[in-house]
Amino acid sequence: MAIECEDQELLEGFLTETTELLEKLDDDLVALEKTPSDTDLMNGIFRSIHTVKGASSFLGFELLVKVTHKTEDVLNRLRRGELVVTPEIMDVILEAVDLVKLLVSDIKGGDIIDREIDDTIAKLLPFLSENAKEATVLKPASSEVSAAVPTPEPPSAEPAAQAAPETPPVQASAPVKASEATPQVKNAPAPPKDADKKVDDLSDNSTVRVDVKRLDDLMNQVGELVLERNRMMQLNTDYQGHGENTNGGAVFGEEFSKLSKRISFVTSELQMQVLKMRMIPVEKVFKKFPRIVRNMARDLGKEVDLVILGEETELDRSVVDEIGDPLIHLIRNAMDHGLETPDERTATGKTRKGTLVLSAAHEGNQIVISIKDNGRGIDPDRIARKAREKGLITDEQLAAMGQREILDLIFLPGFSTKEKATDLSGRGVGMDVVRTNIKKLNGIIDIKSELGQGSEFILKLPLTLAIIQSLLVEVEEETYSIPLAAVLETLRVEEREFHTIGGQEVLKLRDSVLPLMRLQKVFNVQPSERSRIACYVVIVGVAEKRVGLVVSRLLGQQEVAIKSLGKYLANLPGIAGSTILGDGRVTLIIDPAGLLESSDGGGRIAA
Amino acid sequence: METALQPKMEESRSELIQLVSFKLDQEEYGVNVLKVREIIRMPSITRVPNTPNYIEGVINLRGKVIPIISMRMRFGLPDGETTSQTRIMVMDMEGELMGFVVDAVSEVIRISESEIQPPPAVVNSAVEQECLSGVINQTERLLFFLDLEKLISREERQMFSGVM
Repeated sequence: MAIECEDQELLEGFLTETTELLEKLDDDLVALEKTPSDTDLMNGIFRSIHTVKGASSFLGFELLVKVTHKTEDVLNRLRRGELVVTPEIMDVILEAVDLVKLLVSDIKGGDIIDREIDDTIAKLLPFLSENAKEATVLKPASSEVSAAVPTPEPPSAEPAAQAAPETPPVQASAPVKASEATPQVKNAPAPPKDADKKVDDLSDNSTVRVDVKRLDDLMNQVGELVLERNRMMQLNTDYQGHGENTNGGAVFGEEFSKLSKRISFVTSELQMQVLKMRMIPVEKVFKKFPRIVRNMARDLGKEVDLVILGEETELDRSVVDEIGDPLIHLIRNAMDHGLETPDERTATGKTRKGTLVLSAAHEGNQIVISIKDNGRGIDPDRIARKAREKGLITDEQLAAMGQREILDLIFLPGFSTKEKATDLSGRGVGMDVVRTNIKKLNGIIDIKSELGQGSEFILKLPLTLAIIQSLLVEVEEETYSIPLAAVLETLRVEEREFHTIGGQEVLKLRDSVLPLMRLQKVFNVQPSERSRIACYVVIVGVAEKRVGLVVSRLLGQQEVAIKSLGKYLANLPGIAGSTILGDGRVTLIIDPAGLLESSDGGGRIAA
Repeated sequence: METALQPKMEESRSELIQLVSFKLDQEEYGVNVLKVREIIRMPSITRVPNTPNYIEGVINLRGKVIPIISMRMRFGLPDGETTSQTRIMVMDMEGELMGFVVDAVSEVIRISESEIQPPPAVVNSAVEQECLSGVINQTERLLFFLDLEKLISREERQMFSGVM
């Protein structure tokens, strides 16, 4: 059924507002579960759902009205203290909110599908019956039940007497409905899961809301730029006029150098400003997590405190859209593998409740996101054993691995320490997803883990994908650019320090062995006549891997705008794109992830 | 190619088309002027590693990075030296700009479509055969009419964006 809505603008407004309200609702509901006495929060939630209901009834979305109406009723009873917040009630309310999201996303998609909403409504109904308090397991309030029943009813004795016999059937029918509903849910195309997917679509807007102040700043800067342009034109006119004047050249030179400084200043400010417009707080992704963590904790029978830090940290939209999935997998991992059950925790002398810290912060030109738990940590021996059992690595490979390399094994596709796959984990896909997504973003993953103390996954991501800081290097006579985000360190070494293990050149670096890749060979660069004794090794990190790129010279650091090579040259292995340097030459940007991949494919780095 | 051209010829047998003629080794070729965006001298070309030998590299065309293809290499001709006559023809290839290095660009000529004869069955290289859409035989010159969009065949495009 297509949506008939005369006022498209009205509909769009409704969708934007509803989406925002719903996003916040999830968060608020989880918060409410923790602090049920917070009346402000309670009222806020009630208002949100009420607004959604009002707007949808105005626009005539019947299904939406039905669901929101019942949800609102339950919330209203909670608000008036006729019900007390319990995990069971929250489960049902959250399911209802999921359904609302699903319905909204249908509307957004332009088609109203006649979805089955009765199941969810049936689950809400028991909490609406007068004796709901009995239905929900409540210890302290049980004595008030009898008092609570007549309260909503008119004081007249006669109707009350009539109401009394009516009440039991309602009470009786509600549980029946609920029990009928449960098996149906399992057979029907489980709505909550479907909803999860749809919810992600909801957040994918192609419009950006920009702070008016930022827009004003931008306008001012453009104004400045225009001034400088005028100044430049004036300078040009003056110079043309006084060309013969002997003094002209010197004055012009001085003025011109001032002008270029100012223009460079204004343009970089302008660039920052435009970049900022594309930035959104990481909160947009983070706010999904309290809900996810809550549900998982309940499913797994674990107790956990989720601490979120630095949610105001801003990063580029394109990056925000991509980090959601890997973060979910990492959180799942921490919940499932990292944190112990409350009993296990008390047995080892820890607090019953585990802690999961999700934090984001800026670090130079990168954003660092960390997921840290105080669970059991990762056991390298167990990882190594599992990887060998699954045939992912050989004994020889294992023998050559350091602690770090062993931890990195968890990123291998197909790796899992679980004997049996569960709903949550165990198929060996999750960490591979993390790796793939982070690699796509030119990010780095670091793992810190201490057995018995917990583990931490650190993601380092570039702030934006359009303009990058890069390290210019020379390979024989050719210049290449390496994204600085991937560069960990650079070393000046002599070639005789290189070792060869099984045909692979390596460099001993402190306590680890670093595989090397000669860009001259990978890119088939004509070797130059000049022989060098010393060369440079640029150590790059791709997701969890490290490799040393051997180059002839380092030229310096530069901020470059990425230009595509066009569709004919797209997807060259090891090349991410190109950029134009100050002198107008084109320089290729190295894609460290692609380089590593192409070398993986061949088993060895082509020597 | 023959079939693609025929309906057009029947519709407007005497319609004039303009060709940009260029030299490559000993022969003269022509391409439809509407496909040619501009003709530039050889700038500095950045080599792109791990590409077929006929990809000379990429250049900066006023802020746009475009690939450059050597026509000599593509046609399997011996590598020629870059002279003061060497030019890059920047062509519009289905929305993407691409540069083709030729020995020299001579002139723009007008011919009526009826002058274009179907290509002969045998041409020295298969690649040339592929994109040759006709021959113009005038008294003092022989011109090969090329459709360069066929030069980079579908498979090769996939190769660039896939396996390569």
